[in-house]
Amino acid sequence: MSDEQQNPPQNNPIDLNKPEQPNTPPSGFGPITPPPFQQPPPFGQFGGMGGQQNLPNATVALVLGILALPACCFYGIFGLIFGIIAWALGGSDVKKYQLNPTMYTESSFKNAKAGKICGMIATILSLLFIIFFVLIIAGAITHPEAYDRFFKGFN
Amino acid sequence: MILQQLSFIDWLSHHSLACPFKRYFGYDCPGCGLQRSVVSLLEGDFLASFKYYPATIPLVFIIIFTAFHLKFDFKVGASVIKFAFLGIAAIVFINYIYKIYTHQLIA
Repeated sequence: MSDEQQNPPQNNPIDLNKPEQPNTPPSGFGPITPPPFQQPPPFGQFGGMGGQQNLPNATVALVLGILALPACCFYGIFGLIFGIIAWALGGSDVKKYQLNPTMYTESSFKNAKAGKICGMIATILSLLFIIFFVLIIAGAITHPEAYDRFFKGFN
Repeated sequence: MILQQLSFIDWLSHHSLACPFKRYFGYDCPGCGLQRSVVSLLEGDFLASFKYYPATIPLVFIIIFTAFHLKFDFKVGASVIKFAFLGIAAIVFINYIYKIYTHQLIA
């Protein structure tokens, strides 16, 4: 009994030691942690497999950017909204492509870039018009005569 | 078929949306003339279309070109769209300045 009793204690330390070796969890987690570091390679492999994707928002950005121009009517607000959305979507896609150029197709990158620039131009144009409208309205309220002269001519 | 088309254009020309900006403030916004211009373009009158709104024909071009580009993926399509867009923006802007300058805003 005493031997048996002694043995288990001996076994226990061993058992404890065994857990302890994994318990030096750094070493236990050591093998687990590498996968996160290995995640980028799979992406690279995935891209290298020839599975290049289109950027998700490139087409939307391009279409919205172009539609922003005719949408300049209606106070310029729709032009502003469309333009800013196109700008943001295009910009985020351009960044995505630059982070991972192998994963996405180049044509969609070009589309995203074009959408970003179109959105930028439309936004600037809409902003100019909005500022202009505000100035005109302010001018019409404060100086009605000058406003009449400016817009109706001297007839 | 042609009659149907004509009646559609006729209906369109009598049902264009009124510009809210023009209605409230009494002068044209930068997009005013676009609908009249599109209607004259549908009627086949390019000159009238240009006179109403010079940017309509390039706009139609860029929209059709974009549709084809997204379908067939031209090599230089994106840069063509970029420069065309810049040109159209310039046309819209210059047109509006010109309208102010020649007192056409209040029609």
